[in-house]
Amino acid sequence: MTTPLHTPAVLVDDLRKSFFEEERGEVPAVDGISFEARPGEVFGLLGANGAGKTTTLRMLSTVLRPTSGSATVMGHDVVTESEKVRQSLGFYSASTALYPRLTARETLEFFARINGYPPSRVPARVDELVDRFGIREYEHGRVEKLSSGMKQKVSIARTIAHDPPVLIFDEPTVGLDVMNAIEMVKVISELKADGKAVLYSSHIMSEVEKLCDRIGILHRGRLLALGTLDELREATGEHYLEDIFVRFVTDESGAAGALPGAFGELESDAS
Amino acid sequence: MIGPLLRNELRMLLRDTRTILIAVVAPVVLVPGYILLTGAVDDRESARLDSATYTWALVGDEIAWGERTVEAALALPADSGEAETIFERTAVMAELDPEAVERRTELADSLLEAGEIQVVVVARQARAEDSLDVATPVLSLRYRSGSDLSRSARGRLENRLERYRETVRDALYASAGFPVDRSDVAVVVDDNVATAAKEGGRFLARFLLPLVVMLMLAGGSIIAADTISGEKERGTLETLLTSAAGRSEIVRAKLLAIIVVGLAVVVVNVANLGLYLTIGILEVPEGLALDLSFGQLGLLVLIFVPLAGLVAAALLLISGFAKSYREYQLYQPVLFLAFLLPSLAALLPGLELQSVVVLVPIAGLSVATGAVLAGGWSLPWGLAAIASTSIAALLLLRWVEIVLSNERLITSASWDEADFRGGAALFPRHVLTWFLTLWVLFFLVSLWFGDALGVRGQIVVNLVGVFLGGSAWLVHRYRLDPVEVLSLRAPGWTSWPAVLVGAPSFLVLGIGVAQLVNTYLFPVPQSLLEAFSEGLTLNLGVLQLLFFLALMPGVLEEIAFRGVLLHGLRRRLASPWIAAIACGAVFGLFHVSLFRIVPTGLLGIMLALVVLRTRSIYPAMLWHFLNNALALVPAELEWIEADVVIPAWGYAVAAAGLVTSFLLLRPAQR
Amino acid sequence: MNLREIGILYRHELRSALRERTIVVNGILIPIFMYPLLLWGMFTAVTFVQGLNDGFASRIVVDGQLPAMHSELRDSLQALPAVDVVDDVDDPRAAVAEGRIDAIVTLRPTDDETAALPGNFRVDIAYDRAETRSADARARVEALVSRWRSRWLADLGDDLGLDAAERGVFVVAREDVSTARDFTNVLLGYLLSTFLIMMVAIGCFLPAIDTTAGERERSTWETLMTVGANRGSVVLAKYLYVATLGIVAGALNVIALMVSIGAVLGPLLGESGASLDVALTPRAALVMIGGAVLLAMTFGAAMMVFASFARSFKDGQAMVTPVIWLAVLPILVGGEPSDVNLSTSSATVPILNISLMIRDAIRGFFVWDAIAVTLVVSLGLVAVLLFLARRVLSFEEFLTGSFDGSFWRFAKQRLFARRSLSDPRPTAR
Repeated sequence: MTTPLHTPAVLVDDLRKSFFEEERGEVPAVDGISFEARPGEVFGLLGANGAGKTTTLRMLSTVLRPTSGSATVMGHDVVTESEKVRQSLGFYSASTALYPRLTARETLEFFARINGYPPSRVPARVDELVDRFGIREYEHGRVEKLSSGMKQKVSIARTIAHDPPVLIFDEPTVGLDVMNAIEMVKVISELKADGKAVLYSSHIMSEVEKLCDRIGILHRGRLLALGTLDELREATGEHYLEDIFVRFVTDESGAAGALPGAFGELESDAS
Repeated sequence: MIGPLLRNELRMLLRDTRTILIAVVAPVVLVPGYILLTGAVDDRESARLDSATYTWALVGDEIAWGERTVEAALALPADSGEAETIFERTAVMAELDPEAVERRTELADSLLEAGEIQVVVVARQARAEDSLDVATPVLSLRYRSGSDLSRSARGRLENRLERYRETVRDALYASAGFPVDRSDVAVVVDDNVATAAKEGGRFLARFLLPLVVMLMLAGGSIIAADTISGEKERGTLETLLTSAAGRSEIVRAKLLAIIVVGLAVVVVNVANLGLYLTIGILEVPEGLALDLSFGQLGLLVLIFVPLAGLVAAALLLISGFAKSYREYQLYQPVLFLAFLLPSLAALLPGLELQSVVVLVPIAGLSVATGAVLAGGWSLPWGLAAIASTSIAALLLLRWVEIVLSNERLITSASWDEADFRGGAALFPRHVLTWFLTLWVLFFLVSLWFGDALGVRGQIVVNLVGVFLGGSAWLVHRYRLDPVEVLSLRAPGWTSWPAVLVGAPSFLVLGIGVAQLVNTYLFPVPQSLLEAFSEGLTLNLGVLQLLFFLALMPGVLEEIAFRGVLLHGLRRRLASPWIAAIACGAVFGLFHVSLFRIVPTGLLGIMLALVVLRTRSIYPAMLWHFLNNALALVPAELEWIEADVVIPAWGYAVAAAGLVTSFLLLRPAQR
Repeated sequence: MNLREIGILYRHELRSALRERTIVVNGILIPIFMYPLLLWGMFTAVTFVQGLNDGFASRIVVDGQLPAMHSELRDSLQALPAVDVVDDVDDPRAAVAEGRIDAIVTLRPTDDETAALPGNFRVDIAYDRAETRSADARARVEALVSRWRSRWLADLGDDLGLDAAERGVFVVAREDVSTARDFTNVLLGYLLSTFLIMMVAIGCFLPAIDTTAGERERSTWETLMTVGANRGSVVLAKYLYVATLGIVAGALNVIALMVSIGAVLGPLLGESGASLDVALTPRAALVMIGGAVLLAMTFGAAMMVFASFARSFKDGQAMVTPVIWLAVLPILVGGEPSDVNLSTSSATVPILNISLMIRDAIRGFFVWDAIAVTLVVSLGLVAVLLFLARRVLSFEEFLTGSFDGSFWRFAKQRLFARRSLSDPRPTAR
């Protein structure tokens, strides 16, 4: 990667998003968060369902428009240069499915082209992906006929089809079996080694522990803590991420009764 | 157990307000709206034609006479039921000299063409081409059928002129001393024995059952589309199947739900129409009266119950087959057609309840409805009709249960090896689609290029181009083994004499079956049968006849149907019998004409069985050749009478021959 | 928005569509097959039922006696090929009512003042009007008696010394100056303007739902929203794809009709003496193609706007069905064929104006100022609808798929709500 290591690939500054609900009026989903992610690192967003992870990542992928604050991806503003932002990132989540009637190969070609990959190099790029993910065997099978493991491989391959510098994985292991989840974690490590900036959200502590260089703990739309695992351990004195997380959340809520799960309704559609 | 299931189905439907709004409420409001609107448009249109001023011109060599006659005719008072029409003679012609016949004609024609005038009256003496017995003067009305105003002007003027002629004749006869009015001579008096109630009943019977069938289908579909195919799509079917409820209970609950919703829609719509009839927004045709007794109503209910069951079972079946909501919709029109056609049986003249029609589901009920409403009801026959439809409904229901027990149902989305390997493994799954494509080609060739190609050309294009070409393409496309696909191997030697005995026997039995159908099931006048087979007289000469209509089909149709198609079907369908029947059905459909589908279908089944028994295609080719040759040549060359009657012992011999033949058909010994 | 993106997205949509069986069947197979099959089916059914009616001999009972001078009438009744005279039926009236015989023909001399004419008689025909066979029997007998009457009247005229020519008075003849082509064009104009609307609507129907609600249902919507293409391009590519399938359906439909109408209707009309001559002037063809394109553009845009509100395919169908109803409306209103239909006032009604324009063009009428109005009205409508579709599809609820499908809540929140913190404007382009 040509991007120097010290410039952030993703820069988020006091980002806010609120939704309007008939019964409750304005409801803040993301309440002023700031962080950055650099090339060659995995930045983890840890939080319960409804903490604002998906909303944050959707703002970065320009599907949602921030209510206030700013965010840039590879120096492009998500509001004013949304197209360039999308071209420089790959977005993977449980709700980004594949087109069932295309074959695996056609899927990769389409996403490479539409994301602005140089047309002349598309076939070579697709071949590379096909080999890398072991899709060769079923590259001409329609996606609708593939097993869920195969679909996952194609889906990851399509996320990085245009070789973007920034990758966003929004709860990528949800609904995957153990082997597929391990495969996913392996792929993300490889991407990191390739020098990509990876944004990774999850509520599974062990994955975050294993993968992420830096972790942001998100609760009720606010970033409670931000740092490497070691820094977080130091700050709380706890060893396991689970304990660290609980410590931050209970400190913040101030009451043991307010369990993170109670806010699930905000994003019921996102998970 | 059925209770909760049924409640659950109905509750889910009732919460889908948008579907209910669009599928139930809107039609109730819109149907009368549409009827009113079209009525209003019709009224406006006829008012326009009534109030239009029609302009006419007079030409020809008898202008003076013509003028007198037309003016006199137009001066007649309007007849009862005839609208007062304004005719006006064009002023443009007035300046022209009446003697300038040709110029007047030219001008009038150009005015007619331009739409300035609507009709040109040519007053002239009779000419040879009029081929009249007596030389009467002629008023020829020149008009443009392409213009509705012109057509209407011609009709109205013609009416007037003919009425005027009658008055002239009456006066003529009277003045010559004719003793009575001409209109009193040899009068025909109608004496209608039908009561208004019977006429109303017959009128109602023509559309009642089709209407109920359509409403049932449309209403039932609201829930049927969602009930299995929709559950598959949403993944809730598995939830349901893993509950404690048995398959048959689930099926019955869903069936009940469809019946309930379907009947509700029928009742709502019929009541809606009834309401509009009562408040007079819609009008009943004149001279009809409806007078239903409670007995009749009870019988109708008795008829509609099995009908509702059958419709619901059929809807449930396609819902079970379809993998998704939209796939269900693809099958729906086909089902509509399949149900609507037999329900129209009451429209056919000469079909009585006391006939084999009671054995045909729905068609029997259609005729029974007619019998209830317009006379001719007989309890045992009516019950037979009800029973046949009920049995059909039960059989379909059993089928749905089998479909629901199919494992593929739940695992249908999973990966299949054949999809990736492609080639021969995919062929059985695609074979029917390919034959549908071939059928399309075949149909379009005969329809669009039939005249241009002539009989021989059409045969060559279809047999060589469509059948042989299509088969070769499929063998190539799926990399199939020709020997295996076409069964290109020798049969056991006893098969050859078997074919020589079997083919003529089958032909004779076929004639017998056709006669049985025509006598007992559905009488069709002989003249009609002949009219439909008219296209078959060819005048080709015996050698060409044998070549084009026996040898070529014998070889090429066998390659396509008993080779490629049967090969695919065998691997797709479990039982060889079902494969043979399916093969025959497709073969029948390729002979588009109405009366040839059934006999060729039977032949197709027979030939498929020959191939399956001998494991060789050659005996089937010979059989097909013999069948066509024996069916065509003797009749074409008039060696036999067209209406030759085969005695009963002939059928017995033929049956024995067919059985013997079947026993002798053997594969080659290894 | 750039052409390359639109091109990639457009090809992508088309490729997916051509692999979807329901879309292919609705957009391609039905337009090709509907005419041939429908016409062939009608032809077969009409011939069949007609043949049944004609083919059954009428079973009649002949009663009564006529003066000797008319004895031949009775014989010719018996000689009619389609009539069987039945003897010895008990209670013939009941037999007619039960359908065992079709008519009772009673011939008798008159006995009132009309008997002043020697040999005058009347014929009573008892029949059952509710039954087709019986009504046919009556018609056959009546036709024969009427022929007999004319001949007898002519003979009586001769006896009175009336001159045959004078007695004939005059003959009314008809002469249609319309050519076979005119006739065909009237028929074509009626069929095409009606069916084109239906076919284009059907062609647009599934694609419009599939490409909006369908994507949301398959959760590919968010995938598409995160690709590096302009959202305007996405909407435009989708729209172009829907309109293309509408145009394809329409064009196939026109071709199928032109080719089949001669083959199928020819023999049917042949009996009535009319013949067909299928040909279109280049000008008419141009107007027709333009009309089809306008129809596809209008339906495509309208359906996309409605389908955008749906969460699922099924929901989409319920939303788009009203557009189909609206499409049928002009067919009903403009149903009656008239000479010239399109006027500058009727040209302001969308869809109806295109239908009338096509009909007029095929019949050779071109009211150019009305056509211009049609063009402006249609394009204006398309622009408004497209603007709406673009706006609707860029609201956040639609982008994330979290929209709950309620049309009213949407309207309340988005269209009439007071401005609040959550910006009701569409997200960035």
